[in-house]
Amino acid sequence: MKIENISINPTKIICLGRNYVDHIKEMNAPFPKEPVFFGKTINTLITDNKPIIYPKILYKDEVNKRVDYEVELAFIISKNCKNVSKQNAYDFIFGYSVFLDMTARNMQVNDRNIKLPWYRSKNFDTFGPIGPKIVSHDEISDPHNLNIELKVNGEIRQSSNTKYLLFKIPDIIEYISQFLTLEEGDIVATGTPGGVGAILPGDKIEASIEMIGTITHLIVMEGA
Amino acid sequence: MRIGDILINPSKIICVGTNYMDHIEETKMDIPKEPVIFPKTLNCLIGQNQPIIYPKILYENKKLNRVDYEVELAFIIKDRCKNVIKSEAYQHILGYTVFNDITARKMQVKDIVSKLPWFRSKSFDTFSPIGPKIVQHGEILDPHDLKIELRQNGETKQKSNTKFLLFKIPQLLEYISKFFTLEPGDIIATGTPAGIGPIQPGDIIEAEIEKIGILRNYVKLEEI
Repeated sequence: MKIENISINPTKIICLGRNYVDHIKEMNAPFPKEPVFFGKTINTLITDNKPIIYPKILYKDEVNKRVDYEVELAFIISKNCKNVSKQNAYDFIFGYSVFLDMTARNMQVNDRNIKLPWYRSKNFDTFGPIGPKIVSHDEISDPHNLNIELKVNGEIRQSSNTKYLLFKIPDIIEYISQFLTLEEGDIVATGTPGGVGAILPGDKIEASIEMIGTITHLIVMEGA
Repeated sequence: MRIGDILINPSKIICVGTNYMDHIEETKMDIPKEPVIFPKTLNCLIGQNQPIIYPKILYENKKLNRVDYEVELAFIIKDRCKNVIKSEAYQHILGYTVFNDITARKMQVKDIVSKLPWFRSKSFDTFSPIGPKIVQHGEILDPHDLKIELRQNGETKQKSNTKFLLFKIPQLLEYISKFFTLEPGDIIATGTPAGIGPIQPGDIIEAEIEKIGILRNYVKLEEI
């Protein structure tokens, strides 16, 4: 896929859950002792200005009719790596981008409560917008001091700063790469701050991170 | 990757959990009303005769040192598809192969109990042996009448038949493709029968499905 003028070829997307204190509280989730992560598949990826498709099977189902935005700082892996140590983490980061971890919230909560995987609720097509560009690590002096914000129809819904990340980027790479080889182009999304909420077809989402930019997406009903 | 003499380029691996009655009973899970699905990432894939690496972070941790085999029938997607209907499912299947869904069992159970994703326990490097070849749909009259077996150091540990699949292949494809677009080469593993158990470094694991063949891998402790 192409993000602005840079081509990346990710093999996977790893997302952190529960990584901002305010979001953990709003989800009534316990504080993690180590990073919580899960996978999103490549079919979710779309770039700036492409529509987010609201799945009909969610829209028509009263129990599952809730789809949430979650703005996140993502980083892109520069080369294959395994068992990376914290100190060397930034050697393996190509750059940063804005990521939206779209989530079928009621489905996620219901699945979690009956001890099922967090998977289907996170992986509908178009549920992983990313962009508008990749800013290289050199251009961002401190990735843990960036304002992060999300607007729905012009109204601010999420507003925080990456300094509130519970597990920092070097911790995250060290932790994840103990489990799996990260490959060039892989996307790691670092978790969302408080303020998550629902969207509906017709809404416009703008997700912004300081020094990176804004991605804008319209919500469109599937088949419309 | 090459499986036998066929080259595939999967974008994702989707596994079905709790899909044989005998396995549901042994893991004390509830009988699912609809298929339970979770992903594995592409870093898991290895071919015939390649080593399954037993991760050191599991081996050295008394609470986590259990890694299990799970033999499964997998099918490979032929063309890009979404919202497939049951009656047309086989048009989208390239063929069948043997899949071993290696699982860090204690870690999985711990994560499930804490309502965390089923992800890290399933997605270590080398945790998805596949092969030895892809047998085309036309050569297998009925994918729901194949003996399936797993041997550890020559001793039979799992022995069943794909006729005991709770959700059959057409239902699985219809269900999964409601959520995600499937791409050519994508791998769907249909679940494992009873008899799961732990592996140890030094073991030879043979996973066999009638009309497909024997997938053979040995287990090796990770060297760091």
